[in-house]
Amino acid sequence: MEAGQEPESARSAAQRRAEIRRRKLLNNSEDRMNRIVGFSKSDADSGERAGVGVLHLDLDHPEWSSSSKRASPADSGVCESVSERGVESAAVRSLSADGERSASPRRGLQAYLSRFDDAMKLRGQLANEKAAQDSGAQPEELDAFRIFRTTASVTFAVFVRIFVCQYLSIFAPFLTLELGFMGLHKYFPKVEKKPQTTMLTAALLLSGIPAEVISRSMDTYRKMSDVFSDLCVYFFSFIMSHELLLLFGSHTA
Amino acid sequence: MAAGFNWFLVLSSVFLCNLVKTFLPSISSFLSKIFHKDADQEMEMRTEIQNMKMELSTISMMDEFARYARLERKINKMTDQLKTLVKSRTAQQAKMKWIVNIAFYILQAALMISLILKYYADPVTVVPSKWIAPLERLVAFPSGVAGGVGITCWLVVCNKVVALILQAVS
Repeated sequence: MEAGQEPESARSAAQRRAEIRRRKLLNNSEDRMNRIVGFSKSDADSGERAGVGVLHLDLDHPEWSSSSKRASPADSGVCESVSERGVESAAVRSLSADGERSASPRRGLQAYLSRFDDAMKLRGQLANEKAAQDSGAQPEELDAFRIFRTTASVTFAVFVRIFVCQYLSIFAPFLTLELGFMGLHKYFPKVEKKPQTTMLTAALLLSGIPAEVISRSMDTYRKMSDVFSDLCVYFFSFIMSHELLLLFGSHTA
Repeated sequence: MAAGFNWFLVLSSVFLCNLVKTFLPSISSFLSKIFHKDADQEMEMRTEIQNMKMELSTISMMDEFARYARLERKINKMTDQLKTLVKSRTAQQAKMKWIVNIAFYILQAALMISLILKYYADPVTVVPSKWIAPLERLVAFPSGVAGGVGITCWLVVCNKVVALILQAVS
């Protein structure tokens, strides 16, 4: 009877040892995997909070799963915890938006890293665009309104040189011309301008300025650049016509 | 007479610079072709590889395996050599492009600086000062002559206009 119990207890002790060894191995593998993936458990939690698709190893369900994956109805506990985390993440985001980002330097660093990822993506896009431009694509096409502006500026400059400049400054008619362009803008077909990704855009995005503000600023910058181009063309045409008139005037004299 | 054509001198310099800038890739590729000595060898290797591949397609692998394998090894060896050659040629091209770009920008900067120094005190052209009021001081900078068009303003205007013209032409 005792002899029968002894091997049983020995077997159970062996089973226990095997179980302990198995758990230890699994724990070790989890640690190893965490080290490979590159974050601790708190990092993984914050990754889930941010809604980023990060991978984590679950010992109870030992398959690779993404945090962005929906939990099954059976794992209602997991669901609850995820929803709680979602609420918490919203709170955290609002707090960070209020300027409490500096309270946790780690979160700030993560936000910076995510922005850095965005900037790197933009950089890749920029490199692709540059390659496309090098392969022969035009950087900016001359649309109908652009051609009209240039032609009108040249014609107006010649007109101003011949008839107007004796009476007033050449910049006053130019301002009138610009006002006219602003009014005529809506009568021309709208050209969908591709948002250009520049290093400046990437740098602004990296420094935390919203994309909408950047695009609006770039639009304003483009308009100012158009006005400057018009001014250059206008002034150049004016000086050219002045010099040509002087030349022909001196010849005829 | 010559003093009256200062504006034209600056304009032609800017136009020339922009034109050369447009042709920089072509110039650098032409120069790299001139300085590249292994072009014939590369062509020979390409032809040889093509011939060997054709020969390989005529050989049956089952019947003449040894010959097939020998030829295949030869093709692989030559392809590796060709790859090395092409890599060195690409590196040389990049180097040439870099040198041409640097030389061009140095020359352009020297030209612009010399033009600015030459016309620092003299305006490139003069118009009645009331025509360009109230920006006459800005337009005349750095000459300070009332009604004059300064070299900096004229350089900026010429650069913009020439860039627009070249963009429209290309």
